[in-house]
Amino acid sequence: MTYTLNRTSPTANDVGQELRIEGLAAGYGKVQVLWDVSLHAAPGEFVAVIGANGAGKTTTLRAVSGVVKPSAGRITLGGVDITRAEPSRVVALGLGHVPEGRELFPHMTVRENLDLGAAMSAAARARAAETLGEVYALFPRLQERAGQLAGTLSGGEQQMVAVGRALMARPSVLVVDEPSLGLSPLMTQTVFEALKAVNAQGVTVVLVEQNVNLSLKLAHRAYVLENGQVVKEGTGAALLADPAVREAYLAL
Amino acid sequence: MDLFVQTLVNGLLQSGLYALVASGLALAVGVVGIVNFAHGEYLMIGAFLAWAGSAFLGVDPLLSLPVIAVAVFAIGALTYRVSIRHVLLAPELNQMLLTFGLGILLQNLALMLLGGNTRTVTTPYQASSMQLGDLSVGGPKALAFGLAALLLGALYVVLYRTTLGRQMRAVAQNRRGAQLIGINVDRVYLIAFGVSCALAAVAGVLVSVLLFASPTVGLVFALKAFAIIVMAGLGNLTGVLWASVLLGVSEALVQTYVPGGGGWSDAVFFLMIFGTLVLRSYRGAR
Repeated sequence: MTYTLNRTSPTANDVGQELRIEGLAAGYGKVQVLWDVSLHAAPGEFVAVIGANGAGKTTTLRAVSGVVKPSAGRITLGGVDITRAEPSRVVALGLGHVPEGRELFPHMTVRENLDLGAAMSAAARARAAETLGEVYALFPRLQERAGQLAGTLSGGEQQMVAVGRALMARPSVLVVDEPSLGLSPLMTQTVFEALKAVNAQGVTVVLVEQNVNLSLKLAHRAYVLENGQVVKEGTGAALLADPAVREAYLAL
Repeated sequence: MDLFVQTLVNGLLQSGLYALVASGLALAVGVVGIVNFAHGEYLMIGAFLAWAGSAFLGVDPLLSLPVIAVAVFAIGALTYRVSIRHVLLAPELNQMLLTFGLGILLQNLALMLLGGNTRTVTTPYQASSMQLGDLSVGGPKALAFGLAALLLGALYVVLYRTTLGRQMRAVAQNRRGAQLIGINVDRVYLIAFGVSCALAAVAGVLVSVLLFASPTVGLVFALKAFAIIVMAGLGNLTGVLWASVLLGVSEALVQTYVPGGGGWSDAVFFLMIFGTLVLRSYRGAR
């Protein structure tokens, strides 16, 4: 019975939810980017979406968040239809978005950035202190830098803030867009390990990446996106072994 | 020396009013990203409402001030809803044309309804003054400064100590980031624009007591507010305070020490825009 009660307030939930995208088409103005994207991530699953620049990875995630309005298709989060929903509602339903380019608040401190992540839901606010502890445990560096302005951090530290800020809302599904962009290999490793740890706590993770090797190793399942369409799917290991994938994305 | 100190005090008192108008404008520019050329017209609305309250209902402008602030907040929110909101993603030129047109519309509406005469408000404290040693301070001016300081302090507390204020700053710093963490950006814009107009209206109430109400009374204040936010750097609230003091004091100095300075003082803000832009480009070129 408590389980049912939990489902009514997914933002305060530690249990992952399902994200399902069916026949998604979307674009910017007259330029259509996505033609027919169908993918899903089961509760607690770690799913990677790989593909070249311009394949539509970022647009897919923006459509999920409600920043880009799809022209066709259906998106559900934990069974709730969020197609064309406002971003604030999507967040309230339990989606955390770590955007490409981090999109932090540069003139605010690390702590203020994190606090704002929890500010938008009463349930997340009530557990903010606890969540902050978890984020600091995940990224000890953020605790050291708590009083520093986010805009003055290194790229890797900024990425940590972006992940931490999304986690502060206690999302049930975390979508992460190109976290390795501009990061050193070591820093990339740190961020990916954090994502793995978050997923291990039950949060569904959808990772969009150009670092194909690392993300396929990490993901339970993965999709290959080309020209706005899903062209391949399979377990991470299977795709890593796929000759076509190896040739196109790993240059092997 | 006494004259010098008196001049500084006069300038400082004037700067409160400037800061009130300019901080409202800075809010619209910084948070909503709209350069509101109709800002002075909301000041004008505030001034006329204060005059109307005093002339028809016999209510002192300072008593009607809270009601006027709320009313003009609503007018501003409505303006956002029916017009500003629809040009947020439009090119800047379109946005400017919209607010510029809005200003002309409101000004001429006032002219049509109320005529071009200046309307004065009479209050018992209008001619009062305080004596502080050798300094004499006009009662209404001191009152206006006190109120402005109080409101700006409140604005600062809201922006830096409340969730709504943090949301406003977040939206100002990164609209997309704010959207993605679930901030209702549209609602924040509506509130910020409403508060921006309300601040102008409060300044308008004070202007009705200090000067008069007329359809074009907001124009010169809006221009000076533009000079101030250019000097402060767009969207920089503490910068707005310093720039307001600088403008107020500079004007007072010109009034006192330049022969025929009364006329010249209204040109000081042009010089400040000019100076700022030259300095910026000089710094940028290095």
